[in-house]
Amino acid sequence: MAFEALFKPIQIGSQTIRNRVVSTAHAEVHATDGGMTTERYVKYYEEKAKGGCGLCICGGSSVVSIDSPQGWWSSVNLSTDRIIPHFQNLADAVHKHGGKIMIQITHMGRRSRWDGYDWSTLVSPSGIREPVHRSTCKTIEVEEIHRIIYDFTQAARRAKEGGLDGVELSAVHQHLIDQFWSPRVNKRTDEWGGSFENRMRFGMEVLKAVRAEVGDDFVVGMRITGDEFHPDGLTHEDMKKIAAYYDATGMVDYFGVVGSGCDTHNTLANVIPNMSFPPEPFLHLAAGIKEVVNVPVIHAQNIKDPNQAQRILEGGYVDLVGMTRAQIADPHLIAKIKMGQIDQIKQCVGANYCIDRQYQGLDVLCIQNAATSREYMGLPHIIEKSEGPKRKVVVVGGGPAGMEAARVCAERGHDVTLFEANDQIGGQITIASKAPQRDQIAGITRWYQLELNRLEVDQRLGTKADEATIQDLRPDVVILATGGQPFLTQVPEWGYDADTDKSLVVSTWDILNGTVAPGKNVLIFDTICEFSGVSAADYLADKGSKVEIVTDDIKPGAAVGGTTFPTYYRSLYEKEVIMTSDLALHKVYREGDSLVAVLENEYTGALEERVVDQVVVENGVRPDEALYYSLKEQSRNKGQMDIEALYAIKPQPCLTDGGEGFALFRLGDCTAPRNTHAAIYDALRLCKDF
Amino acid sequence: MLDTLLPILLFSALALAAIGAVRRVRLWRQGRPSSVPVIKGLMQVPRRYLVDLHHVVERDKYISHTHVATAGGFVLAALLAIVVHGFGLDSAILAWVLLAATTSMFIGSLLVAKRRSPPPSRLSKGPWMRLPKSLMAFSIGMFIVTLPTAGILPEGVFQEGLGWIAALVLAAVIVWGLGEMFFGMTWGGPMKHAFAGALHLAFHRRPERFSNRAGGEHRSTGLKPLALDDDRTKLGVEVPADFTWNQLLGFDACVQCGRCEAVCPAFAAGQPLNPKKLIQDMVVGMAGGTDAHYAGSPYPGKPVGEHAGTPHGPIVNRAGGALVDAETLWSCTTCRACVEECPMMIEHVDAIVDMRRFLTLEHGNTPNKGAEVLDNLIATDNPGGFDPDSRLHWAADLNLPLMADKREAEVLLWLGDGVFDMRNQRTLRAFISVLRAANVDFAVLGTEERDSGDVARRLGDEATFQSLAKRNIKTLAQYRFSRIVTCDPHSFHVLKNEYGDLGTPETPANYHVQHHSTYINELVVAGKLTFKAWKGGSVTYHDPCYLGRYNGEYEAPRDVLRALGIEVKEMARSGYRSRCCGGGGGAPITDIPGKQRIPDMRMEDVRETGADLVAVGCPQCTAMLEGVVEPRADIKDIAELVADALIIKTPDDKATQSKPAPAAPRTVLEATP
Repeated sequence: MAFEALFKPIQIGSQTIRNRVVSTAHAEVHATDGGMTTERYVKYYEEKAKGGCGLCICGGSSVVSIDSPQGWWSSVNLSTDRIIPHFQNLADAVHKHGGKIMIQITHMGRRSRWDGYDWSTLVSPSGIREPVHRSTCKTIEVEEIHRIIYDFTQAARRAKEGGLDGVELSAVHQHLIDQFWSPRVNKRTDEWGGSFENRMRFGMEVLKAVRAEVGDDFVVGMRITGDEFHPDGLTHEDMKKIAAYYDATGMVDYFGVVGSGCDTHNTLANVIPNMSFPPEPFLHLAAGIKEVVNVPVIHAQNIKDPNQAQRILEGGYVDLVGMTRAQIADPHLIAKIKMGQIDQIKQCVGANYCIDRQYQGLDVLCIQNAATSREYMGLPHIIEKSEGPKRKVVVVGGGPAGMEAARVCAERGHDVTLFEANDQIGGQITIASKAPQRDQIAGITRWYQLELNRLEVDQRLGTKADEATIQDLRPDVVILATGGQPFLTQVPEWGYDADTDKSLVVSTWDILNGTVAPGKNVLIFDTICEFSGVSAADYLADKGSKVEIVTDDIKPGAAVGGTTFPTYYRSLYEKEVIMTSDLALHKVYREGDSLVAVLENEYTGALEERVVDQVVVENGVRPDEALYYSLKEQSRNKGQMDIEALYAIKPQPCLTDGGEGFALFRLGDCTAPRNTHAAIYDALRLCKDF
Repeated sequence: MLDTLLPILLFSALALAAIGAVRRVRLWRQGRPSSVPVIKGLMQVPRRYLVDLHHVVERDKYISHTHVATAGGFVLAALLAIVVHGFGLDSAILAWVLLAATTSMFIGSLLVAKRRSPPPSRLSKGPWMRLPKSLMAFSIGMFIVTLPTAGILPEGVFQEGLGWIAALVLAAVIVWGLGEMFFGMTWGGPMKHAFAGALHLAFHRRPERFSNRAGGEHRSTGLKPLALDDDRTKLGVEVPADFTWNQLLGFDACVQCGRCEAVCPAFAAGQPLNPKKLIQDMVVGMAGGTDAHYAGSPYPGKPVGEHAGTPHGPIVNRAGGALVDAETLWSCTTCRACVEECPMMIEHVDAIVDMRRFLTLEHGNTPNKGAEVLDNLIATDNPGGFDPDSRLHWAADLNLPLMADKREAEVLLWLGDGVFDMRNQRTLRAFISVLRAANVDFAVLGTEERDSGDVARRLGDEATFQSLAKRNIKTLAQYRFSRIVTCDPHSFHVLKNEYGDLGTPETPANYHVQHHSTYINELVVAGKLTFKAWKGGSVTYHDPCYLGRYNGEYEAPRDVLRALGIEVKEMARSGYRSRCCGGGGGAPITDIPGKQRIPDMRMEDVRETGADLVAVGCPQCTAMLEGVVEPRADIKDIAELVADALIIKTPDDKATQSKPAPAAPRTVLEATP
């Protein structure tokens, strides 16, 4: 049997976990109405349990006290008994599929925001400001310490009464417990600070009180860091000492270990390693903790592949693997292993769309799986075959929208033909994957390619579809996902010309695709500030160009998420790329062999010039609408999507209303440039009822 | 002249036949002793012949009718010829009956001749090609010489003039006929089958195979235990004389009809096995000589004439060149198709396992993965070598009731070694959800269960089989249950048919064992399961050998499928003629190469039905058939189909609760994963 180590059950305290795969605690941003778990929340975890996950630890940063604000990330609120019946729903949904569910509970101390909801005064051992949230706080008083310890016990009681299998005390990510631990934050001189024992005291009192409240038949675990990676923070050796100290009480049923602290932008990027990181970069830290404790150790962080998980478990580094993003990408990961469908697992690519949304207070979604966390709306992970008529579906364009549309239609049992002008599918994902450290994004395409092959979709690569070729196929449905082109014509003064030799500017696509050779001195003007501009800068610098990236926004890469811009910055600074903000590209002209870029200060209007030999402009995508307008009048629905039906996840009426001609729909950037998730989401919700 | 000559010819032929019979019996007696009730056995011959053997022969109506005419005609003609012409009883009535008998025989011989023009490949040629002519010679000769006795020709017609010449010709024809029919019967001619066949029926090593007036099941498919504690006897069969005498007799009964060859999956796959040739090789070995005279299809890839043997020479040589090559023996899937088809009721599988026993137990010479699997079984009690404590890992979330806790249950669910296989775990989970839906009181042995011993036994490792079986029996003896139910036909067969021999008075091992399809059918009949309407495509059903041919269960799986609303599209080879998946008898472990793979052929059978799905009831079949490359039909165990169709009634379906929280978690677990 393959994956023996993965499927070996394990005892955590009083609970038997059916396999070694955990969905570790993360903020779902789904709990609403004062922090009560919603139907959406329940269905999200039910899907994981149904898909075979052994243990779900839900509710990252679920709060135990009202002065640890719940609203910013819609986290679960355990400060009131109102939560108990909601937990019963949640526990039932997971248990009936054989899974176990626990919840992380915490007081976040200073690591929050105070400027909303109850306008709480945040507390921290020594009142030191937290930079990531720009949050100031008061120095906690002893009376408050005792109140919060009591709040922990009541939160644990509520979890137990709600039928959950355990609680995880968060002592990671610089929450209140590890704020007390860390000499970087804890400068107290009373019995709650100073010596090792004093710094440990708050966490220890919480642990003892919680254990006394819940008894032995309920799991109490702790999540800790393996090393804060701050010169003045907790080191790995400190953490081993701390772990052993708590483990010696016999009251902790497991330890979850996270590499890196997270109270700066740069360390935060380590915690949820994006695609620029190697596999399991911090496993050694978890293994170090495992050496000194006697209970199971869980470790997440870039464990995405079943073989990788098996290797880690077989090696005995840790006892359970967190495959959290892996299961956000595919909650049926375990089921697919067991069904012998490993090739059908949609593997996380580390785009970090999920976590970057979370840090903006937005619901966690997957860049490539639009069904995740939309289970409650009826969006399926496993698409059922249609019982209706078999349709001839023509999809034009093999980018994210087209790939998803073709896949879903084929899963529905329809006869699908996919046209792609390039000789491979992927669309802009292919371009994005050319940048240094971004190659893994192509994993999205890799999965679609495997699925489209499996589903026997007729893929006409290197073929541009026109009106006649489409009509020849006598389609019932035509889906256009033709994307667009870099929008370089918006400002005539940029001097763009379709003839590359004459054009004064090139696009980031030209650079990343390699259709234009890198210049020696390059100016990149990026008004979009998403991945493409910084990717092009990184690519050019990697090829030896001297690069300045300029934006009229607040900083280059401003729209790149919080866990990803730091890894770009690490790379760009190292390669001496100059990053300049607040300048717009006014004009480009040629002077001898050089190009002169005229830049205009956003705030003063002052002009300045750069003499370079290449100007790259990132100004987003202009939709390609020609094919659409040539087909629109022949279609039975005049190309119109019924958006009420679409948003309500209901079938498009034009499919059953009758009428002449094919139904015509547009998806993705050929309508308006949005992002990968938007393209895939629209494709899924449109096609799932075909 | 004929009046004088005929008695001489007849009695000489009979005398020579008697001498031949004694010599033949001596050949058989080279075998190991085996006690049989001689008189009782002989008394049983007519019933065994007319009922049991005829039941098999009748599957081919043409040859059945032919044989009735020919053999019936011959037996009657021979007896009357002795009376009328041997003893000169001048009775017109008997002569007329003799004429009728020879006419019948003659018609039969024409049909025999027709079947052999040209002969299908499964039939042996050589002396068998002359048999129809010999039959004609005997029948025509006897017919003509009887005409004067019957008063149709004048008396003395063969004594004058041309009559003399006719008489000489006639005498020659009769010599030919008698030579074939009487002399040849005991001196190794084609008619040997009648002599050896009749005695084989009388002294068959599995008398329980035959019906009796009391009715009841008459099936005997379990392997016979080997006495392991006798230091003087070698284990298994090394030389032909190591077979029991009645096994040797059985080999001699072979009529070389090749029905076994036609159904043998290994032969069809081009592996070096042909059951007919194997039996003929045993005959060669018993008498001493080479296989050069064998006139049937050879073992695929092995030309005839290169093998020879003696009664006391080894059957298998490591270097080859003895009577048979080891790979021939290891090609067998023990599917029993040959035994099922054999009109002479020969036990090919017993013989093969006997010879495998010697190779494995005395030489430790089990090919390919065989030795590793046996080592695993010895060390870990399972063929994969998995940690024995991990037997229930797959079910950590199912909270399976353990016999060790419950001590008694209505159903003891025997899980089998499929617990270590992710594919089979889905079947087991499905079946457990069915048991739970029907509120069945069941329990499992958990880590106390061991491999049933099936594979070890088929690979010839009787010692490991007995060790596993005895320990399982001891475990089972601790608990009370009214039946054992299993999803694995191999465990089913072994528990039902082979453990009994190893029970002791303290720990009897006679269990009521059921295959899960049988049990599900009982639940369906009892109204304990309700199903959604079948929405899938067309379905065919593959009979597992160890469920069908070994245990006669053909209907329950089909009844269950019907209850699901499925109309089974039968394969040309189904029921007792089902083609093996290739997974039995340790064949996937010994893995003898052929020209194609057996499961590929089986999926081709499936494809011919146009079915979208093939329902199975065996983990081996599932594994073998799913190993066939796509595109092919889907493969699902009956338990999975049933679990998918279940309508599960839960307590909270009845009352909608005002609180948002239902009280207790439902115990229903999905079949997958």
